[in-house]
Amino acid sequence: MSTDPGTPPPQDNRTFQRVLIFFVLILAVMVAIVVATLSNLNRSIATSDWVNHTHALITELDALQPSLAAAEGDLSRYLLTADPRDHSAYQEKFADLGERVAVITALIANAPGEQQQFTPIASLLARRAELASRIANLKKAGDSAALQQLLGDETIRSEQRDLQRRVEKMRETQTSLLTERDRASFQQAQTTRWTALGGVVFEFLLLCGAAWLIRDDLAMRRQAARLLEQTNEQLEAKVRQRTAELTASNEKLVTQNLEDRWAKQALEHQNRYNLLIIDSISDAVFVVTKLMNVSRMNPAAVHLTGCEPATLIDKPIAAFLRLEATAGSATPGFDPLVRTLIEGHELRQQAALLTNKSGATIPCRLNVFPLRDRDKVVGGVVVLQALSSS
Amino acid sequence: MSNATRPPFDPNSVASAQRAARHHILVIDDEQPILDLLQEYLTAFGYRVTTASNAQEAKRLVEQEAPRLIITDLQLEDTDGLQLIEQLRVLLPHTPVILLTGVLFDSQVVEENLKWKISSYISKTAPLQTLLDEIRRLISG
Repeated sequence: MSTDPGTPPPQDNRTFQRVLIFFVLILAVMVAIVVATLSNLNRSIATSDWVNHTHALITELDALQPSLAAAEGDLSRYLLTADPRDHSAYQEKFADLGERVAVITALIANAPGEQQQFTPIASLLARRAELASRIANLKKAGDSAALQQLLGDETIRSEQRDLQRRVEKMRETQTSLLTERDRASFQQAQTTRWTALGGVVFEFLLLCGAAWLIRDDLAMRRQAARLLEQTNEQLEAKVRQRTAELTASNEKLVTQNLEDRWAKQALEHQNRYNLLIIDSISDAVFVVTKLMNVSRMNPAAVHLTGCEPATLIDKPIAAFLRLEATAGSATPGFDPLVRTLIEGHELRQQAALLTNKSGATIPCRLNVFPLRDRDKVVGGVVVLQALSSS
Repeated sequence: MSNATRPPFDPNSVASAQRAARHHILVIDDEQPILDLLQEYLTAFGYRVTTASNAQEAKRLVEQEAPRLIITDLQLEDTDGLQLIEQLRVLLPHTPVILLTGVLFDSQVVEENLKWKISSYISKTAPLQTLLDEIRRLISG
């Protein structure tokens, strides 16, 4: 298992991207909820202001007719009593009425619809105030006839009804707007509530999703870690096994090498020892092939023949040695020496004549022994004992 | 006496080497390559090996520290191996002695004539494993 340590595995990347997407979504939903809630809150505040404003307007509208009635009541009392205090009272009441009109005018300053409705009302109220002033002046002047005529004018009552009708209509309009705004405000509050609730539920679901992803990723990581651990254990076991095998193999090789060196040493020793035995014999010893060619000779043989081994090796022994019985024979092919090994028998204590390097003939006692390897004659050993030195 | 059948390689040689740890073996031979090879081989199997190239040195080493086992050649520079064995027997009557030699003996002859002198005879032509087996047998015995 080989992974590039510089780059995270693809699965890690995918999980990280998914979790990141979930958190971005959560953040976006949260921002949307906050924005929607703040917007609804602002709208609620605006609605609340408007409601307060409308309530104030309705209150003022409701107070108009009682104020007018109170002022006109004080005027009637003045007409009856001609008391200056009643005169002052009616003037004061009309001044209050004027203030209320001013308040209403201020309240509807930015509402053209209401202004359109209230302008006739204000005009009617102004005419009522003016009429009251004229009545008070006629009373003060003592012109009863003009006063009676003015009070009996039907137009005054007609305007009174018109005023009452207009005020009520405007009040109804405001009340109806208030009701409508109340409903809208309730719906808005409901929307805010559901938005927040829906957002919270959605956030919860997103969080659950993210949690599931993380849990899934953790489970995968745990599984990967377990697999890695198992793989490592298997690898370590294999390494241990392989190391043990290599160690055993190495030990075996070392032992084998020592055995080989030992065998070589033993062989050399044995060879040296064998040569030592042959070389230590005082009789001349020739090791010959099956056809009686010299393959080896000991120092005694060198001494007896006067020839170095290099000059005699691979030469027929018959060239310098013959049986005394066959001396002078012209048919060396039938030399009994040669026949000895071909026929595979020994010659013992035979008289023989050796011609040395200087050409002198040396009488010897000869023994020939075949060398047998698994009953097969592979060569022979010729042992010569000089009977007298030349 | 020598075991001609070579046993298979022992994979637990480390364990066997630990078992053999620190058994002292004295090897006597007049050929240095033989001494070196035997020392290397026996040390690999956990034995502590000292070597002597002649009888005098061998006797000096034995007096210094008695070995657990002696391996000796027959032909030494200053004496005959069998004579040395007799002398060492006086000093160490219970120490096993292996005669390791290239001189060709008939094992039956050795069995009959030399067994009172030596514990075991092994030819130098035998594998080292044979020698090791014999050492183990003699030491554990």
